[in-house]
Amino acid sequence: MVKSSTAYRLDEPELAPQTSQLQFGGGEPPNPPLNANLPVISNERLAVMMFLGAEAMFFAGLIGAFLVFRLGSAVWPPPFQPRLPVGVTGFNTLILLASAFTMRAGLKAIGCGETKRLIRILGMTAALGGIFLAIQGYEWIRLIHFGLTVSSSVYGGLFYTLIGFHAVHVLGALIWLAVVLVKARRGHFTTSSHTGLLTCGMYWTFVVGLWPVLYALVYLY
Amino acid sequence: MNRRYSLTLIGFSAVLLAPAVATACAVCLTGGADGSVADAFNGSVLFLMAAPYLVVGAIVGWLVYAHRRAVAKRKQYTGPDVRLVWNHKETGR
Repeated sequence: MVKSSTAYRLDEPELAPQTSQLQFGGGEPPNPPLNANLPVISNERLAVMMFLGAEAMFFAGLIGAFLVFRLGSAVWPPPFQPRLPVGVTGFNTLILLASAFTMRAGLKAIGCGETKRLIRILGMTAALGGIFLAIQGYEWIRLIHFGLTVSSSVYGGLFYTLIGFHAVHVLGALIWLAVVLVKARRGHFTTSSHTGLLTCGMYWTFVVGLWPVLYALVYLY
Repeated sequence: MNRRYSLTLIGFSAVLLAPAVATACAVCLTGGADGSVADAFNGSVLFLMAAPYLVVGAIVGWLVYAHRRAVAKRKQYTGPDVRLVWNHKETGR
């Protein structure tokens, strides 16, 4: 099965006389196998993938609730409600999408072993995520000032529930990214070992990929 | 076994031949089946029915893709297969 192997076996003739001799103290510990059967995907990535599946189902439930009210109303948005800032939020969407590209660039940087570049790029990603949250918060304050609150109407409740939960997820991703950035500065990530960075990238990509769906549903549809 | 099959057959027949008897949805029973609200509920339910298949399909699809990529990568490797077999400590190696 193995064409050219340098495996050493116990039944080799030159080793046969030595097998009967005992080593004092049991001898040296055995060598670990070089080609271990490594899984195709690490346990950490599989766990994050399961978590993202659960998050996707959570947002599917919220979107389902939104669809019931949206499709069941003859007029949408309902009359006498403040209009949503479509243009500013569209620009905000571009900022968040840019952060996904920078995160991807960061993963490529660690793949090439460029740790300093990775730190710089992670900082850019965190800054873009922070700008997104800041603009969202500013727009919400304006909407609350114009009378759109969680309890003002079903429209307001739906808006703040959907967009609010996404913002909480972005905040969580930002905190995770901050921890990853600190670890990167301390040199924890190498070309062959950067699972923490990979899993953070997976969650960040999920949060960024979810936003255009919510933007199209809530702001444009 | 025959009793179970006959009960299943009766259940399917009731759904097809007498849907008013078999429906348990409150929206259908209250007569709002033609309204826009009922349509909205239908659409939402269809979306939520499809969501798990999409999510699980995406995860499984990615796993299959990752496995095939790993197999292709292993096939590309043509170097020697160096393995150190674990020997018992008392052999001295």
